[in-house]
Amino acid sequence: MALGKEQMVLLYRNLVRADHFDKMMMNRIMQGKLIGFYHPGDGAMAAGVGASTFLGDNDILNPHHRAHGLGYAAGRGIDVGRYLAEHTGKVDGCCLGRSSFHWSFPEKKLYGASGFIGWHFCPVVGWGWASKRKGNQMVLMASGDGSYGQGGAHEAMLFAMNWKLPIVFFCENNGMAIHSTISDMHPMPDISSLAQGYGMPAVVIDGQDVFAVAETVIAAREHALAGKGPTFVEAKTLRLREHDVGTPDLARAEPRPAQYLEELKKRDPIVLATGRVLAEKVLTRKQIEKIYQEAKEEVVAIEKFADDSPIAQPSIEELLAGVYVA
Amino acid sequence: MSEVRELPLVEAIKEAYRQEMERDERVFMVGQDIAGGIFPHTKGLVEQFGTDRIVDTPLAEIGMYGTAFGAAMEGFRPIVDFMFAGFFLNAAAPILAQTAQFRFIHGSQMSLPLVITGACGAGMRLGNEHAMLVHNMIAQVPGIKVCMPSTPYDAKGLMTAAIRDDNPVAFFWHLGTMMDRGPVPEEPYVVPLGVAEVKREGSDVTLVANGFQYKNAQIVADKLAGEISVEIIDPRTFSPLDIGTILKSLEKTGRLVVVDESWESRSTASEIAAQVVDLGFDLLDAPIRRVTIPNIPLPGGHMEPYVAPNPAAIEAAVRDVCR
Amino acid sequence: MATNYVMPKLAMGMNEGTVVEWLVAEGQQVERGAPLMQVETEKVAYDVEAPVAGWFHILAPAGTTVPVESVIGQFAGSAEEYAQLSGGAALPAVTAVPTLAFNDKLTSTGAVMAQAPAAPTAAAPAASGGRVKASPLARKLARDRGVDLALLRGSGPEGRIVKRDVLAAQAAPATAAIAVSAPGTLTVKGTVPLKGMRGAIARRMTQSLQTAAQLSQFSEVDATRLLEARARFVANADAYGTRVSVNAFVVKAMAVACQAVPIANAGIVGDEIVLWNEVNVGIAVSLPGQGEWDSGLIVPVLRNAERKGLVQIDRELRDLATRAREGRLVPGETEGGTITLSPTAAMGGEAMYSWSTPVLNLPQALIVQPGMIMARAVIHEGEIAKRDMMPLSITFDHRILDGDPLASFVVTLRRCLQAPELMLA
Repeated sequence: MALGKEQMVLLYRNLVRADHFDKMMMNRIMQGKLIGFYHPGDGAMAAGVGASTFLGDNDILNPHHRAHGLGYAAGRGIDVGRYLAEHTGKVDGCCLGRSSFHWSFPEKKLYGASGFIGWHFCPVVGWGWASKRKGNQMVLMASGDGSYGQGGAHEAMLFAMNWKLPIVFFCENNGMAIHSTISDMHPMPDISSLAQGYGMPAVVIDGQDVFAVAETVIAAREHALAGKGPTFVEAKTLRLREHDVGTPDLARAEPRPAQYLEELKKRDPIVLATGRVLAEKVLTRKQIEKIYQEAKEEVVAIEKFADDSPIAQPSIEELLAGVYVA
Repeated sequence: MSEVRELPLVEAIKEAYRQEMERDERVFMVGQDIAGGIFPHTKGLVEQFGTDRIVDTPLAEIGMYGTAFGAAMEGFRPIVDFMFAGFFLNAAAPILAQTAQFRFIHGSQMSLPLVITGACGAGMRLGNEHAMLVHNMIAQVPGIKVCMPSTPYDAKGLMTAAIRDDNPVAFFWHLGTMMDRGPVPEEPYVVPLGVAEVKREGSDVTLVANGFQYKNAQIVADKLAGEISVEIIDPRTFSPLDIGTILKSLEKTGRLVVVDESWESRSTASEIAAQVVDLGFDLLDAPIRRVTIPNIPLPGGHMEPYVAPNPAAIEAAVRDVCR
Repeated sequence: MATNYVMPKLAMGMNEGTVVEWLVAEGQQVERGAPLMQVETEKVAYDVEAPVAGWFHILAPAGTTVPVESVIGQFAGSAEEYAQLSGGAALPAVTAVPTLAFNDKLTSTGAVMAQAPAAPTAAAPAASGGRVKASPLARKLARDRGVDLALLRGSGPEGRIVKRDVLAAQAAPATAAIAVSAPGTLTVKGTVPLKGMRGAIARRMTQSLQTAAQLSQFSEVDATRLLEARARFVANADAYGTRVSVNAFVVKAMAVACQAVPIANAGIVGDEIVLWNEVNVGIAVSLPGQGEWDSGLIVPVLRNAERKGLVQIDRELRDLATRAREGRLVPGETEGGTITLSPTAAMGGEAMYSWSTPVLNLPQALIVQPGMIMARAVIHEGEIAKRDMMPLSITFDHRILDGDPLASFVVTLRRCLQAPELMLA
């Protein structure tokens, strides 16, 4: 189903915002103003934006670590100020400053994060099962090509198809897992080929095209809500930079060639989206400038919120009290 | 309290399942082959509650556990049955790295009111993997509670408490107690987690024992009656541990023997010993003895009876501290 | 002073090193920073520099492998020192890296316990090598009940003292096994030389008792009005600059009594009794002893007590006592006394109503020792009353005074103490 004009504007705006969030994080970590690490999503924010913008309020969303889910946060209306506060160890962080990089926005059905890649293949089964029981909600679980090495991926897809769970397995395939290339780590070029083993409908789309992603996810969502079970959406995307800031950008043991990276930049999602919204007269240049301006202001407000928040250093007693429900 | 009929321990567990599922529609069970059940503890439940609430899964612990894990975040109160306790290890990361630590790390916003369960125990010659007692592995991780019943009464009460607890709780039961009969009130009731019980009063030595070993402790106490007066304490919950009851007993006896059917090093017996020396140093009139499985994988064949704690080993330890 | 040179720890995991080659000769005078040796560790060789300057004495020959931090050479501060080092001075032992003892007993209590329990060991003395073996509970009980663990025999395993041993010791302390020394023997706890002050005190006390015909006389004084009078002085302490003490009253009373009974203010010098004009009152002051066990005594003199008022007497008493304790008396201040006061003080910190037989401070005829004033039930004006009473002990030399003059002295003294206003006469 084709997108309406308003939907396209919303997607475009969210894409610009997501890109600004990503640059904000990269700048901060290079200035030493971020705790932990950051996995940049430079040039690959479209998949997250497209997958999250038109989810329902009841739907469960769980992104992976690429760009720390900020593309999904942009589409979902997550309070990025609280996320940045968490990432800087502040009191107003979404996890009270305890986790350094975890999300926790249960009111937005974003149920936590973990450094165990592929961890969410485990609870996604329960999310799907609960969604089916409750009705009128589905699950979008996003992960990269590398995570499908985990045995849990098989179990999740198995359960999802057996029980016809309303789950969209959204795979951002950027062809890299730290230094590992997909050609080394997976026997087939498309991760979605796994889905066939379970009889799960699968589709491969251009993850750099925010509109294509949105359309596909809307359809997959309807499929799920209609009780037809899970689908596998593979969004082909790219990784412009290193796996995480500070790690050398290698493929196997060799630096990825500059020439190659230049080629990748030609498929920048904002360039693609801008071309389309202008060509189809969805937005004027002035409106686009305004969108950029507002995104910049939003980043300023996010950083101010996080930087103004006090550092979280509670007593041991307070920490002990946080382990169990009393 | 109504007239107390007797039930086998495994039936007492089932009664807890049944009554809690009747009381709260959010409670459901997920496991492998629980509809039919290889143990009697789920027999008849699928007929009463249907496959929506007695959920069989493929042979896949991550998917099986994930059903409970994810549903718990969505307001359900699942019980996930690993059949044998040791198989939880196939889902160790989601349980110990994620579930147990989830609430704390995510700013105490979410709770995971789920129960993990499975059977375990030496003495039935089921081999090292099926017998494996894993309560101490889990008890060390903050954020998840661990308990084991010694009597049918405690079995129903602890399982009810575990289901009603808003935290993740691991409830293991010992195969050697499965058919033990004991009084179990018909109405629902709770045996609180984190509370030990003095199951036999004595004055010369405090003997801590649980599960199947609780029975061995009674055998030893009966044999020594008249010569050494043995007080038996059942911890019931390993984490959080009720050290207060043990210290109170030591004020009377001054001597402590802890039986823990688990590997010796870093066991709950070790933990109790450390806490007693810290908090009750002046109470001790003799060193503390632990009676445990030695640091070897549990052998099969004909070796199990003397490798695992047994009445002779317990009696020797009791006599040793009474010298 | 020679400096030891040890095998350096060049890397985290390095446990030992091999001296491949010494880059200096034996006895060579080495500059700081000069190449000293080549060392090999884990297949890599390093050149190491001298950390200090000196004459170098090689202890570990080239080719030897030694543990890290063992001594392999020495830097001597001078050629002469080097000569001593190399000429047979004892070689320091190569220090070995201590190895951890693996405790097999940490395993398998189950297997051990499955065997029959050992027979209980016979009760043995628990203290050996200075360490008493007792259970924590026994220690606490012993502490709480004042039982000395070192005196007990333990009936627990390996002679450990346990609760029942402490309880038994309390129940029948006399019969509990107590360690005693062999019959006929004594063991020395400490010694004090009879020298210096102690020697002097010993000599003077002996001489006094052997020379004078000294006897003691005891009485009680109703000091109620003395205390009332004193209180009035104390109320004006700021104005007087001192809190007038009871002793000041006693000194004054002694002066009055000495003037009333001159033979009391006398002494035997040579072959005659000499009576003196001045009433110079010696004040006995206790001092700390020379060592751990003993104590000391000195008697500075308050001169012309007969001319001084209470305030001045008190000030001087305090000053003399303070300077005596601080060792700041000037020469002559302990001479020229005509009568001595051994002042009121609690016995060892305890209030006690007691008399004593003070020893005469020769050549003086009298020494006065008032005791602590304490409330007593006495007959006062025909009725039983609570009065503040002072026990009074006086030793006198019967060669100088007989009973009558002594009685006069005592009566006068008592009169002044019981009605201090009479001292204004």
